[in-house]
Amino acid sequence: MIIGIIICLVVMLILQILTPFWWWIMVVPFVYGIVKAHACRKGFLVGMTSAGLLWLFGSLYYLFTSAGIIAQRVAVMMNLGSPLLLVVATTLVAALAGGFAGSSGYFLKKVFRRD
Amino acid sequence: MKWLSLILSLGIAIGLFYFLNFPHGILPPLGKFLNPYVGFWQNGTTSDNLPSILDVEGLKDSVTVLWDDRGVPHIFARNEYDLYFAQGYITARDRLWQMEFQAFTIAGRVSEIVGKQALEYDRFRRRTGMLYAAENALNAVLAHPETWAASEAYAAGVNAYIKSLNSKNLPLEYKILDYMPEKWTMLNSTLLLKFMSWNLTAYSIQELFMTRAITALGEAETAKLYPYYPPYTDPIIPPGTPWNFRPQISEKPASDFTPTGLTLANPIELTSSFGSNNWAVSIEKTASGYPILCNDPHLSLNLPSIWYEIQLISPQVNVYGVSLPGAPAVIIGFNNEIAWGATNAETDVLDWYEIEFKDDTKSAYLYDDEWLPTTVRIEEIKVRGGETIIDTVYYTHHGPVVYEKAETPFDEQIPPGSAMRWTGHDPSNDVLTFLKLNRAHNYDDYVEALFHYDCPGQNFVFASAKGDIAIWHNGKFPLRWERQGRYIANGRNSAYDWQGWIPRSHLPHIKNPQRGFVSSANQYPADKTYPYYLIGNYFSFERGVRINQRLAEMENITPQDMITLQNDVINLHARKILPVLLSLLDSQSLTEDEIQSYEKLKSWNYEHRADLIAPTIFEYWWDELSNLIWLDDIETSWGELLIPRWDATIALILKEPESPYFDIRTTTDKETLTDLVIKSFHSAIRKLTAELGSLGSNWQWGKVRTTDINHLVLIPGLGCTGLPTNGSASTVNVKKPTFGPSWRMVVSLGEEVEGWGIYPGGQSGNPGSQFYDNFVANWVSGNMYELLYLKSSNDKHGRLVGKTVMRSAQ
Repeated sequence: MIIGIIICLVVMLILQILTPFWWWIMVVPFVYGIVKAHACRKGFLVGMTSAGLLWLFGSLYYLFTSAGIIAQRVAVMMNLGSPLLLVVATTLVAALAGGFAGSSGYFLKKVFRRD
Repeated sequence: MKWLSLILSLGIAIGLFYFLNFPHGILPPLGKFLNPYVGFWQNGTTSDNLPSILDVEGLKDSVTVLWDDRGVPHIFARNEYDLYFAQGYITARDRLWQMEFQAFTIAGRVSEIVGKQALEYDRFRRRTGMLYAAENALNAVLAHPETWAASEAYAAGVNAYIKSLNSKNLPLEYKILDYMPEKWTMLNSTLLLKFMSWNLTAYSIQELFMTRAITALGEAETAKLYPYYPPYTDPIIPPGTPWNFRPQISEKPASDFTPTGLTLANPIELTSSFGSNNWAVSIEKTASGYPILCNDPHLSLNLPSIWYEIQLISPQVNVYGVSLPGAPAVIIGFNNEIAWGATNAETDVLDWYEIEFKDDTKSAYLYDDEWLPTTVRIEEIKVRGGETIIDTVYYTHHGPVVYEKAETPFDEQIPPGSAMRWTGHDPSNDVLTFLKLNRAHNYDDYVEALFHYDCPGQNFVFASAKGDIAIWHNGKFPLRWERQGRYIANGRNSAYDWQGWIPRSHLPHIKNPQRGFVSSANQYPADKTYPYYLIGNYFSFERGVRINQRLAEMENITPQDMITLQNDVINLHARKILPVLLSLLDSQSLTEDEIQSYEKLKSWNYEHRADLIAPTIFEYWWDELSNLIWLDDIETSWGELLIPRWDATIALILKEPESPYFDIRTTTDKETLTDLVIKSFHSAIRKLTAELGSLGSNWQWGKVRTTDINHLVLIPGLGCTGLPTNGSASTVNVKKPTFGPSWRMVVSLGEEVEGWGIYPGGQSGNPGSQFYDNFVANWVSGNMYELLYLKSSNDKHGRLVGKTVMRSAQ
């Protein structure tokens, strides 16, 4: 599973940097769910962890390098108060999206393949 | 079971995708927005400097930009095209979203961005013909090679910057509102100038209310409550100045006109919002022996700021000042030989004409016993996530019929069933004035430049290193008969049309007056002997009188003295009326809080400072008193009238203390002024105590009334709010909840020109930049920055922190 997480993470990181689309954090776990996941829990966990970590590290990196002022303002705008809560929100969004995409991939495979 | 799990899981996943990929109400599309690799996290910056070498397609030659420590670009170009190209590029780099959004706003295209909630707003912009006005202005711009070239270069520069954008480095607001910038057009630049024209014109619209007043009260009482010439005015041109011309005459119609449809609307207080100060002092009055010029236009305060500071240098020009993001040239500023500034003239250039259509097709309207055809303009309002709305606007020779009789106007000042005659609709090339002022060498150049400026009128102040000072009440002003424009006019009768224009050379102006200074503060421009009828929402006397008193008594003036005067907060409204009010108070029947309040007012020196309590008490008391005097009188069978302005109220108290207006009509008793003064004092202190507790530091003016500099579309977190500013609506340093001095400038001319300036904002429009609002704290404290006027791109200065060479990439 750890290898799955790492693979997803690396693939998503590359795609996120090279393209403007956010939804790789759903597409990649979804594909992983279809191709590799052996259990619903696994599809969900790999998606959740890899997407969550990707956005956690990303937001923390920018928060501490360049995005201090903007994060403070956006935190007020979104009624969160603190930039760290904004990091939590960012992580949570990615974790949920990645998780359900992963489990959906797994269930799709289950429906169409008997093993 | 397998299916159920799939449907459940996939359902949630699809739901999440949908939720995260699209905007919902005020929420941005969260997936895109929170994505650390593309979303808002990318909008942080550690440095606002452009790279030291920048290849830009479209430049003719290389351009050098020096950056100072406040983020002001000093642009050195080798030709005029590159100069305005670089101005467009650099301004867009800092302010693209703002300039495009403001162009959309005035064009009535906000629904394209935010959906149907902006539809009525957009319809209002289309009906008032803003796009029509901008198109007419663009034709005038294109008809003149100089303005065409500058606008074209500017647009090319903006577009070169837009080309460099991708979904990562897009300005924050595009990400929040989820849309992309369009190609910039020259029309956008004229739209932005119309945005200013409309804002500076709009508050002179009062015909609807004035018509109701004269219908309800008659001529004499209307003149008393809403005086045409504001009391206690010290005009711009010194009283007694002779008029050396033969005035043109405007023929008055034979009989007065009463409009048919006077709809009811809620009362609003008759005050004007946009005011400004400017003045120049002569060589005899300054310590340096050279003139000093000052200007502080008071506008709606927003982030990003309405102004962008810039220095533009080419072989033909070297000018420093503030520009309007989206339009070429410097609007208020100086070069090495001259300086200029502007305040709103307030003189009315917008009239309403009642229109009688032949039938429901609105294809013809009555005019001098004939049916004239209307012209039709089809407006397409695109709506995000909805159907495009087609709106038909009917134009008469006066202008567009903005709202029909049965419609509810978006702006309640607009009389339904009337056509709008506005000089802003006429073709004009106002940008030419600024291009010429930027290059002016002397008084003659300045006057020639002004004649190209039409709408709305401005008091242009001037000073030159040669030692001249001057002011012109300048613009395209209709030739009016007496009282024309005060009430809704008869659109059926040609006698009500404007019969020409006041010749420019007859406009109120003065050069090098005896008294050694010129000034304006939006007051009536001349004394009552001025032979032309001017009308407008001229400001109450306080700022104008205070500035003139101070300038008259000052000698050996230094730039620091001028900065002090711009920050002056002596309240002449209070100084005029408070001693009278206090003398009428019966101090025996006062409570503890009331006695303390009375003492505070008694010992007050009329400084409207944020840390004082007396200003708060005075403001509350005055509001209570004004309401008590007027609320019973403005209820008429014609609906509620406007509460008269405070200057008219002051005049009534001082000149007619026995006036029947002091009696409260709804009571059987006969109240006197003294009764009202006592009663309003009690209720003001009661109100203060209820809102703020017992008299104490909570009552300090700066805590009770703050200034908010909101984000342009009021996005929380992107504004600067709750600022404890000094001043009031009646002080030189003006304070209103969301208005104020938008750019303070002091220029000392001489062998080498020196300038000081500040505006409440920052150079960058990026909320993630340290330069977004870094001037605000100093602006609140009344400090100013010394401006770096550079001569050459090789100039060395400790405050220059960066250099960018823009190279032509062909």
